Amino acid sequence: MSSSADLTITPAQAALPARRPVQVFVLLACAAVVLLLLNIAVGSVQYSLAEIIAVLQAPPDASTAGTIIWNIRIPRAIAAVFGGAYLAASGLLLQIYFRNPIVGPYILGISSGATLMVSFVMLTTVSAGLTMFSPYLNTLAAFVGAYTVMLIVLAVANRVGGGATLLIVGLMVGYLCGAVTAILTALAEKEKIKGFVLWQLGSFSGFKWDEIVLLLVGGGCIITLLYILSKPLNAFLLGEEYAASLGVNIRRFRLLILLCSCALAGMITSMAGPVAFIGMAVPHMARLSFGTSDNRILIPGACLMGAVVTSLCDLIARSVMAPVELPLSAITAFFGAPIVISLLLKRRVKL
Amino acid sequence: MNTSANQPELSVQALSVGYSSTPVLRDLHFVCERGQFISLLGPNGAGKTTLLRTLSRHLPPLSGAIQVRGKSLKALGSLELARIMAVVLTDKITPPLLTVEEFVALGRYPHTDYLGRLRQVDKVRIHAALNDVHAGALRQRQFSDLSDGERQKVLIARALAQEPQLLLLDEPTIHLDLRHRIEVMAILRDLCREQGITVLASLHDVDVAAKISDRVALIKNGGMMAWGAPESIINAATVAELYNLEQAVFDSALGGLEIRGPSTGSRVFVLGGMGSGAGVYRMLAKKGFAISTGVLQEHDLDFHVARALGAECISVAPTETVNGLSTEQALQVLLACDFVVDSGFSVGPANRANLDLLATALARGKTVLSLREEKAPVLAGGSSANLYTCRNADQFLHLLDSTMLTSPIPLEEHA
Repeated sequence: MSSSADLTITPAQAALPARRPVQVFVLLACAAVVLLLLNIAVGSVQYSLAEIIAVLQAPPDASTAGTIIWNIRIPRAIAAVFGGAYLAASGLLLQIYFRNPIVGPYILGISSGATLMVSFVMLTTVSAGLTMFSPYLNTLAAFVGAYTVMLIVLAVANRVGGGATLLIVGLMVGYLCGAVTAILTALAEKEKIKGFVLWQLGSFSGFKWDEIVLLLVGGGCIITLLYILSKPLNAFLLGEEYAASLGVNIRRFRLLILLCSCALAGMITSMAGPVAFIGMAVPHMARLSFGTSDNRILIPGACLMGAVVTSLCDLIARSVMAPVELPLSAITAFFGAPIVISLLLKRRVKL
Repeated sequence: MNTSANQPELSVQALSVGYSSTPVLRDLHFVCERGQFISLLGPNGAGKTTLLRTLSRHLPPLSGAIQVRGKSLKALGSLELARIMAVVLTDKITPPLLTVEEFVALGRYPHTDYLGRLRQVDKVRIHAALNDVHAGALRQRQFSDLSDGERQKVLIARALAQEPQLLLLDEPTIHLDLRHRIEVMAILRDLCREQGITVLASLHDVDVAAKISDRVALIKNGGMMAWGAPESIINAATVAELYNLEQAVFDSALGGLEIRGPSTGSRVFVLGGMGSGAGVYRMLAKKGFAISTGVLQEHDLDFHVARALGAECISVAPTETVNGLSTEQALQVLLACDFVVDSGFSVGPANRANLDLLATALARGKTVLSLREEKAPVLAGGSSANLYTCRNADQFLHLLDSTMLTSPIPLEEHA
């Protein structure tokens, strides 16, 4: 735990206007690796360093230590790293697209759609007959909810001219989903509600290896695509009209940005639930640490920063009051809210 | 056929522009040649921006044809168009955390590879573009920290980094101070002259536009009122019609606007000429006096200013001596005025009669305000009780404000 003290990179780095992308990258990468290892090593069951190394060197086996480390801790640590990275990338995209600094991946209603579908599964008996899917039922429901909302938003995006209109449509869809969820919650049995409320606060626990594979392959493809799109994304810093005058196909590109952003956020939300603040706060932290708006640096930068911050938050969430696990969104908000406030007060970022 | 050498940069035939079938401008025809500076003039809301947005393909034309270097605008690929045409818009954009150099580098978009990496040639073009707009010194500054004037120059540099042959600017001098306004116009004119870029800009300063442009388009009432060289189409009548001017008159010889006063105050006769009266007329017009003046030779500077200000003007032909007939006429007008101003005109054989008029006015007891620096013999000899000498404009304006002139003057005999 004490070693996490020297990992509070961001606020100190944020004040530095100088550009040292290589140093910042190296620092973040080291922090990410250290946190990944810490997340594997630290937990409610204490293992010595030697035990952990022994388990890691051996192939996964049926021993208690092997099961805990290989099937619980490692998937969770990896999920935190990639979940944070994808949420940050998703938020960065939408902040560029809307040219609005307080936009995050859930602004278009992705999380509300996922929550709505999960509330059907968890709070009602509609899904009673679907027990054969039971381990994946929440994930499946959230997936359907998130991507349905995404399709609605994309369909609307093709018909409206400006970003502001789309933003409002996204918010309204979110409110609609929220309204249905609220009604279901009111009608639900008391004991089911706690589980649902905790799901809404997000957690990287219980990731399965096949989910991790999906996360790595699907998300990896999207991030690669984004990096290739960093040139038109940079042109977008000038706004849609200038971007069009530079030769960017605005209609196609707008769709691509929204698709990538929603796909990433939807993927994480369906597996981990809505994790607040990472997607909104991390792009700012990345911009300030790297001192640039150049997306060729920011896309990998925000991913790394998201991985570090999320791993740190997950570590705190499960170790501060162990064995009780704190909700992840509570920790990220503790972490994110002060940073967003200080950014707004300093007006360092004018988007 | 496809060689662009002899093709005009931009040609427009029977073009109608507007938003979703509501035409803003109809039936436009014009041709822009290489290296020309073209100004779009017209009142707010006339459709200048709509036309520019259509030419830059942000808006589809409602009907008609636009050709860029002989090719249809519709048929050009978006990157191909970006290498030919660049725009400077009025949108306020402030991308955070970008240096001026990086900002201008965004203009290299149509020339760089898929990741936008800058080669040596790109860097050279970026520096050249910054130097073209006299902004080389701003390179390391943050774009979001620039002043309006600096920002406008950097926006033009960004457009130049595209290496365009056609540059479209929407009100490039709006919000700028005088120095930057002139500087931006000079930069644009140099781009036309030295690099052969065709510049198409919507402007509000008629006088500056007339002095810099090769062609102007006067846009009003849903169409193009006139198109041509400013020397042939910008005059008092067209400018007044274009902007519905009532309080001001454009004079092409003066190259600027004269602002008329209400002319409701006392009537004053100005003895002027040789350029001495221009400033006096403007002061009087500003204070609201009705002005009569004479005797002027036509095409004297004073003649142009007086006429633009709507003064009653007694004049003789340009090279003619001020003679008995015109002097007699002037005297009648002078005697009907409330007071007289001597602008301090230089005296020569051609206008000696004006000095005699001054002496007569004094002798008849008219109040005379004289801006003459040294007393002419004719003034020294006359009665000086009704003569007020002003050494400078301040004293003159002070006298004009005193009640002596605005209340009925007791000396007045010709009521």
